[in-house]
Amino acid sequence: MNAPDRFELFLLGDGETKVSMEQDTRQPNAAIFTFNKEDHTLGNLLRATLLHNEHVVFSAYKVPHPLFPKFELRVQTDEETTPKEALLAACQSLIGDLQMLSQKLTREWELNKIARDTS
Amino acid sequence: MDDYDTIYGSDRGPQITIKEADSRHAQIVLSNCDLAFANALRRIMLAEIPTIAIDIVEIQTNTSVIPDEFLCHRLGMVPLDSTNIDDKLIYTRDCFCDQYCERCSVTLSLHARCTGEDNVTVYARDLVIAEGAQLGSPVINDPEGQGTVICKLRKGQELRLKCIAKKGIAKEHAKWAPTAAVGFEYDPWNKLRHIDYWYEEDAKEEWPKSKYADWEEPPIEGEPFNYDAVPSRFYLDIESAGSLPPDEILQQGIKYLQEKLAAVIETFSNKNETGDGFGDGVRSPGQDYSMGGMGGGGAGYETPYQGGRTPFGGGGFGGATEYGGRLMGGHKCVAAVAMG
Ligand SMILES: [Zn+2]
Repeated sequence: MNAPDRFELFLLGDGETKVSMEQDTRQPNAAIFTFNKEDHTLGNLLRATLLHNEHVVFSAYKVPHPLFPKFELRVQTDEETTPKEALLAACQSLIGDLQMLSQKLTREWELNKIARDTS
Repeated sequence: MDDYDTIYGSDRGPQITIKEADSRHAQIVLSNCDLAFANALRRIMLAEIPTIAIDIVEIQTNTSVIPDEFLCHRLGMVPLDSTNIDDKLIYTRDCFCDQYCERCSVTLSLHARCTGEDNVTVYARDLVIAEGAQLGSPVINDPEGQGTVICKLRKGQELRLKCIAKKGIAKEHAKWAPTAAVGFEYDPWNKLRHIDYWYEEDAKEEWPKSKYADWEEPPIEGEPFNYDAVPSRFYLDIESAGSLPPDEILQQGIKYLQEKLAAVIETFSNKNETGDGFGDGVRSPGQDYSMGGMGGGGAGYETPYQGGRTPFGGGGFGGATEYGGRLMGGHKCVAAVAMG
């Protein structure tokens, strides 16, 4: 009866932004990003991708509470870059990787279809 | 053609091999990527690809033994053809209409009555789709051409109802899931020891071999354990529920993962400018920007990010080649890829 609407799991509320960044005051070059209306799909993907970046010293995420559709990503970098730049670079590289994957899939599927049609 | 070869011929980026495929399922191998990447793709295919499903049912007559809400639930689960849905239908919440219209919904009607002595079975094929609808016809794959069973009627019983099918994703309700299941497996020989097999006497004897075992080298007896090894080959088995073919499920999964990432970039790139409508929270994920301002924000397509356009927002997937080519051809993006 008082259950929240299911679309609140993935639609941003009024005035809500997808990501907000808060500088970690205890350490230099560290920030905590809060992602709204996102879950492990994006959280773990970004965490893992950030760790491939040699300038990223620390990257981890948590879902503070399972009933709230948000996660927190903490990123710490060396002097060469900033957490925000590292995050944006990770997103960019993933978009590129996915684009390549999409093109390879298109080609593979076509080849597979030809093989299927001829046999 | 040079460009083509450098893109396709390269070992850079995730690789994909199709092992086995037909119109309903696909067995693929993803390699040269990490576990998080493969898992993100799996999760997005399960929960965040839009399809069309019956959402509202207006019942005029139901004298069958099945209660109204039971019947509505069954109707909701009937897979409806959702190919290229992003080019054909928008979400009702992004539409200007009050409750539903032909831009955000498809109407199906059902009228069945049992007049004879024998019971009548009502099938998905009995749903009559509104004329001119571009999608949403019931998926029928059985040899008899009947589709799923909706209800059975005895002599004198009748069904007369109108169904409104809408666009949605499985995060809201499982009836919108394009997949029946997504199989996910890696490391068939358990070389990484991510699994502890339970056994009576000998795990090797008691556990069946993985069906993917022949695709990887078996472990060598007495081989030292590699603590640094990570999984890099993933076996996915995509089983379509019928609303979308498996290749489109994969392509849509890739597209919506890209949209998610683009939304992150967009948030940061817009913060430096005057708030031009971004953060307009009601915009649905994947809302087609090109559909003439029907969506909320309308910011996406031309948003500058580090000099280039956001690599997203242009039309449906059909139009992907255009910006896809630009994305891959441009030095900026190739450099970014190399960093990953
Ligand atoms: Zn409408």
